Amino acid sequence: MTPRSRSLFAADPQIQSRKRADARFRLYGLAAILASLALLAVLLGTVIGNGLGAFQQSYLTLEVELLESKLDKTGNRDIEEIKKVTTFGYDPLLTAAAERLIETHNIQTDLRAKDIAKLLSKSAVSDLRDFVVADPSQIGSTVSFDFLVNARVDGYLKGRVTRESIADDKMISAEQLDAVDQLVAAGALVKRFNLDFILGSDASDQRPESAGIGTAMLGSLAMMLVVLVLTLPVGVAASIYLEEFAPKNRLTDLIEVNISNLAAVPSIVFGILGLAVFINILHLPMSAPLVGGLVLSLMTLPTIIISSRAAMKSVPPSIRDAALGVGASRMQAVFHHVLPLAAPGILTGTIIGLAQALGETAPLLLIGMVGFIASTAPETMGDALLAPNTALPAQIFEWAKRADPAFYERAWGGIIVLLVFLVAMNAIAILLRRRFERRW
Amino acid sequence: MSASKISARGCNVFYGDTHAVKDVNVDIGSKSVTAFIGPSGCGKSTFLRSLNRMNDTIDSCRVEGTITLDGENIYDPRVDPVTLRARVGMVFQKPNPFPKSIFDNVAYGPKIHGMAKSKSDLRDIVENALRRAAIWDEVKDRLDAPGTGLSGGQQQRLCIARAIATHPEVLLMDEPCSALDPIATFQIEELIDDLAKNISVVIVTHSMQQAARVSQKTAFFHLGELVEFGDTDDIFTNPSDPRTESYITGRIG
Repeated sequence: MTPRSRSLFAADPQIQSRKRADARFRLYGLAAILASLALLAVLLGTVIGNGLGAFQQSYLTLEVELLESKLDKTGNRDIEEIKKVTTFGYDPLLTAAAERLIETHNIQTDLRAKDIAKLLSKSAVSDLRDFVVADPSQIGSTVSFDFLVNARVDGYLKGRVTRESIADDKMISAEQLDAVDQLVAAGALVKRFNLDFILGSDASDQRPESAGIGTAMLGSLAMMLVVLVLTLPVGVAASIYLEEFAPKNRLTDLIEVNISNLAAVPSIVFGILGLAVFINILHLPMSAPLVGGLVLSLMTLPTIIISSRAAMKSVPPSIRDAALGVGASRMQAVFHHVLPLAAPGILTGTIIGLAQALGETAPLLLIGMVGFIASTAPETMGDALLAPNTALPAQIFEWAKRADPAFYERAWGGIIVLLVFLVAMNAIAILLRRRFERRW
Repeated sequence: MSASKISARGCNVFYGDTHAVKDVNVDIGSKSVTAFIGPSGCGKSTFLRSLNRMNDTIDSCRVEGTITLDGENIYDPRVDPVTLRARVGMVFQKPNPFPKSIFDNVAYGPKIHGMAKSKSDLRDIVENALRRAAIWDEVKDRLDAPGTGLSGGQQQRLCIARAIATHPEVLLMDEPCSALDPIATFQIEELIDDLAKNISVVIVTHSMQQAARVSQKTAFFHLGELVEFGDTDDIFTNPSDPRTESYITGRIG
């Protein structure tokens, strides 16, 4: 060892190397944070860049004459008669409307009106029929509609589809795109915000433009409700018992270890369990949010128990002593003093657990909550729980694996919706914690 | 002297395999102050906590022998510790007010025991307890303020008010002044004097001066045994056991 310098001002080589190590370490930390921030920025940038398009859709304005000769041959507005006209019967109306469109906007094209009508989404005909069936009194008049255009045209407006990329595409031709250019210039074809993406239901492979995530959102909401109703009381009761009343012995140790282990079990295992127990043994309906909620409850319970116990453990024992000392029973001590003080922690844990469950896909695959299911929105609370539905992440997964690139954009859009939900839930958790946290 | 309120006969307390209190016989008089002194870990706090069964909350703790309150064995299976603790109150080493208002802190005990018939009853009980704990004048204008916002000495007096609000017959105090400054300590000691006019007080203390100042009887514990028990004046002036003498003169402990 070198003799120590006598002056406080003199630099000691050992101290200097220590200082360098210190600075190096801080640099590593800073670099790690910057790297993660950069990754986060890339992630958010990709998600938003790819997904924002899903919130906009292109619409073509058409004046449709609802010809009585086509829709109600008898002329007595009998709804049963009107319903007999299938969507094929409406096709000529759209063709006629397309013809008028070409005339009014003076579109220069060699295409026939029928080919212009093909720019519309396949959902346009059924939308038109739904409108007429809902309000037969409109037959005979001319009504202006904003129809969705098909995903190719929409993609062209969003820059996803180009003239080069459609070279081998049978769905759309260069002549049609020429017409689209003129329609856009004439203001008949516009791209605008699409609320139906947020509120609507999934659509078949042929109609990516009309697919929405609303029904899947309801499915997720119903599942979260089931999870909350089941896990909060059960989880809190279990943690109160384990933390405050259970004797400390081998059995409770075993239970404790197993709860911690359950929290680490891959979620797909819970999915298999749910399939075996809830569907195969108990014969609950397939694809139902109720079953999804049950499976996710199994998954969330350990998280809630662990966080609730931690919250109760952090309440100082002196508070329990104080309550017992004035003659409160153990139950009173827990419910009057420990639980209120632990509540913010318990709620935070619950919301984090719910957020985890909200983003879970794998177990839902096994109980059939994926695929083209969410085609109609549930109408009653019972339907919301028992009718086949899907969930946000499962819907995203479903879209991501479909062939049409228009669905790819919707998958990213769905991710934005999911992220908004997660951020909102975490924000609520933080707010609750801030609001109710007590100091002692 | 007064008749005995609490009697312990052949009392042994174990923590698992540790024999913490060994064969203690002691009589605690009513309307007087009894002090337990002794070095750390001598079992005096453990013994104090077994007087109102606070040790029940510790799984590994086991109490043998009999402890009677007014002649009734408090460890009899028919005894509900909740009723016992309403009669034998406790004040802890560290002030531990509930994180609630001053009023709610004191009102909690009377509320759960159904002592107040009306709101004004409850207010009277709270005021009375706060007055007896000599803290009323300091807090009467801010009964809604949190109890945790008071100073250490005030918090401890609040805890005493909380403990006496249920009108216990015995008040157990586990080193109530160890976290307080001399002025607050003085206030608490005055308070103990005052309380002992009506109830019996048992106080565990590390300060021999405090024991000498406040108590009429003193018990000296050493390594789990009750070495000597008698009038405070005798213990401090004329101890019969050499271990007591060593302790009070500062040679052990």
